[in-house]
Amino acid sequence: MTMLMNSTESKTVSQVRDYVSRRPGLRGYLLLSPTLMIVGTLMLIPVLGMAVMSFWQQTGHMAFDMSGTLNNYVEALTRDMYRVLFLRSLAISGLTTLVTVVMAFPLAYFIAFYVKRHKMVWIIVVTLPFWTSYLLRVFSWKVILGYNGAVNSGLISLGIIGEPLTFLMYNPTAVVITLTHAWATVAILPIYVSLEKIDRSVLEAATDLGDSPFMRFVRVVLPLALPGILAASVLIFIPTVGDYVTPSLVGGSDGYMIANVIQFQFGRGSNWPSGAAISLTAMTIVAILVGVFVWVARRMSGRRS
Amino acid sequence: MNKSKEFIARLQDGQFTRRQALKALGAMGFAVGAVPLGVRSALAGDNATYFTWGGYDDDGMFAPYIAQHGGPPNYVTYGDAEEGLTKMKAGFVVDVTHPCSNDIPRWKDSGMFQGMDKGRLAHYDDLFADLVNLPGANDNAGQWFMPFDWGATSITYRTDLVDLEGKAESWEMLFDPRYKGKIAVIDSAADTWYCMAILAGVDIGKPLTGDDIDKTNALMKKLRPQVRMFTNDMTSLQQAMASGEIVMAITWNETPVALAGEGHAVRFAGPKEGALTWCCGLMMHKDAPNLDGAYDIVNAMTSRETGVYVIDWWGYGHSNAAAFKVADPGILAQLGLDKDPIAYLNAGHMGVPQADDVETRINRDFEAIKTGF
Amino acid sequence: MNSGTGVAARILGTYAVIYVAYLYIPVLFLPLFSFNDSIYISFPLRGWTMKWYETMLANDALHRALINSLKVGLATAFISTVLGILGARAVTRYRLPGQKPVVAIIMLPLVVPEIILAMALLMVILRAGGSLGLVSISAGHILLCVPFAMVVLMSRFEGFDRSLEEASYDLGENGWWTFWRVTFPNVLPGIVASLLLTFTISFDEFIMAFFLGSTEPTLPVFMWNQLRFPKLLPGVLALGACILIASVFIVLIAEWFRRRNTLDSQSGDVIIG
Repeated sequence: MTMLMNSTESKTVSQVRDYVSRRPGLRGYLLLSPTLMIVGTLMLIPVLGMAVMSFWQQTGHMAFDMSGTLNNYVEALTRDMYRVLFLRSLAISGLTTLVTVVMAFPLAYFIAFYVKRHKMVWIIVVTLPFWTSYLLRVFSWKVILGYNGAVNSGLISLGIIGEPLTFLMYNPTAVVITLTHAWATVAILPIYVSLEKIDRSVLEAATDLGDSPFMRFVRVVLPLALPGILAASVLIFIPTVGDYVTPSLVGGSDGYMIANVIQFQFGRGSNWPSGAAISLTAMTIVAILVGVFVWVARRMSGRRS
Repeated sequence: MNKSKEFIARLQDGQFTRRQALKALGAMGFAVGAVPLGVRSALAGDNATYFTWGGYDDDGMFAPYIAQHGGPPNYVTYGDAEEGLTKMKAGFVVDVTHPCSNDIPRWKDSGMFQGMDKGRLAHYDDLFADLVNLPGANDNAGQWFMPFDWGATSITYRTDLVDLEGKAESWEMLFDPRYKGKIAVIDSAADTWYCMAILAGVDIGKPLTGDDIDKTNALMKKLRPQVRMFTNDMTSLQQAMASGEIVMAITWNETPVALAGEGHAVRFAGPKEGALTWCCGLMMHKDAPNLDGAYDIVNAMTSRETGVYVIDWWGYGHSNAAAFKVADPGILAQLGLDKDPIAYLNAGHMGVPQADDVETRINRDFEAIKTGF
Repeated sequence: MNSGTGVAARILGTYAVIYVAYLYIPVLFLPLFSFNDSIYISFPLRGWTMKWYETMLANDALHRALINSLKVGLATAFISTVLGILGARAVTRYRLPGQKPVVAIIMLPLVVPEIILAMALLMVILRAGGSLGLVSISAGHILLCVPFAMVVLMSRFEGFDRSLEEASYDLGENGWWTFWRVTFPNVLPGIVASLLLTFTISFDEFIMAFFLGSTEPTLPVFMWNQLRFPKLLPGVLALGACILIASVFIVLIAEWFRRRNTLDSQSGDVIIG
């Protein structure tokens, strides 16, 4: 078979082949090139396009001055509205991340250390809800917290309240509650994996050295679980900062987040340059925060162990 | 060679055989290959696309089109005409779209539309001449804007839950502290912002000045803490009004009609400062991929049949004068639509076209105020 | 462990049960109300009915949306998995100069908020004169899914014993033949896992589908539009219940593959040993 192919190949082709086969790096890049090209086309070009556009200036409805200005960035960083929306988005996502991770940790701990058989069943049970429609999971909280929703109709039929509570919906708290539930599974899995990896003999050694269960937890378990906690935090924080569905459905105008304003600038605001600048600013802020967070957490754990 | 085959065969024991793998991949590849992903071209040939406000994607408005084509046109919706304009300027091509009369010059100037050939407009002569000849609606190049629906934007309120204390209906009702947090407004500057402009005493029939905009913004800022929902979604709004979550809302004519139909005690206020009146219509894209279908959409929507449907089911005025002769006179009187449309529109305040930068600023300010700034 | 363990186990066990209830109750609301004989989603329940399922089955627009989602999902799963295979193979098989930044670029979509990617794509597609529709949605989904496919496949390619390939080379097989007969069967479970994962992500994705779509909604966009109409809502809930059941099946199938996969590598070890 190989010989047959060689005989039909022209000399140049076989030369190229030899050249390539002698250089594994090149071969690797040839293999990688379709993936790199497609991801590059679909992401780098749009993001670069966005970067270029962020230096334009809106002059009218979808009319732009392309001579280059930093105004959009100055506005993105200094205008009260954007500053508050950035802070609110970060606060909502940060709080969501914190609550989700804190709530998920004991469960992951339980599965890793106390469930002896059927661990996989537990994992599947906690993973399943994540596979149902995100939209419907968010919507179900609208059904629960709404004016005629489950909480209100339940409390009324129990005679606890006379009139529906209106503070349950259309505010940042409703967004946090909804997001916390929607992203729960994403927190459990990485934490579980990192706990599961902990060598049990290390725990026993700590106990033998006279550590109380609490000290053992703080000195051994927590630092070793840190990679999982970090992974969970990053995986929840980044997508929730840019979430559009949840603030739109349950946030109301007080629960507006940065995604809503980005959508506005690209939609009826017709100010694409400003939308681009806000997007890139958001991306940068998120990247810096995540970087700092991971760095600090790594250093802290490094010092401990 | 033999050795290696043996090796591989052993290796594959307990694995997927290659044949199985091939079959699975083949099936997958076939399924994907059979999927016509380039649907767009096929679609463009078959059916026309209508780009409109969410909610107007209602088959009831297209009975003649459906009879002709066996199905409704493709609907694409926007939350607000300004958003639609942005999307089209960005390169989104449709056949027919649905702006309002004060949008005409800006939309025309965008160079994205074509004047319609009067000869191909089947119901041209049945329409109210005053609407067909609205400023900028036609010129030598043809009919740029075919009027379709008209009506008012005003306050719908639950008469059983809102107590006016004997005062006359007014836009001031929205500021009543007793109803704080029980009020909804339309999430569109073209409606809510202009309603506040009327209350501010601004003449929206003229080009707006910076002072006019500031005065209106001040009222918008005062209104914002009262509001529970900024929404374009009239169905959610109706539900909220039916349950009593919302007792008062800025709406179009359709909401009180629908709520009254369900037996709720509601009224469409006639504010003493005057309501906001409007007339919206159809414009045809310059590069309409399906020109015949585009004319079929316009003709269906301006037909008498659709006119009756729009009046009876939506409670809106319609551009077809003949439809008014067929529609239920009781409903017409109840809606206040039994008059000449121009008299109706003039009884309220109708906005005139504004310059590009003014519209852009209004939209931007509206969004900021809505967000709390 | 020590005497505190019993108490701790009980507390944690109780917590775990409450937590699982918290995870499930909101999700189970949907199927529950899909059988409720009322268009309003409020307690108390009115009565049992199957009519919402009938409405759902009779809804043509829903069928079209489902087909659109399947098209996009299959195309996305297939293309992103192929790209994932190429990428994972290149990265794990060869020591590439500058590998870290290159992999980072491919992984970048994981760490950029989706709305930004959607808007950037929308901007470029429209300005380049492209049209919106299932193709543009699929492009967006492929961008989101390639990193996931890469991660799943890289771990499989890394776990796979290189000595098998080397043995095959030693026996005189060429690269392609070795890949096809040795590598491919070994990484097949990873491929299946990648197909399932990317399909599921695409099937549930809303933001790209919402902003990059046109006249043909995918299922999540269709549901988003239906959420407004009280009369249609129970039909959407019925649909949600069906998606839930289908998801359970897919997860169980994926799990079955995963287990098979573990057994395989064990049996593989035995053969080599």
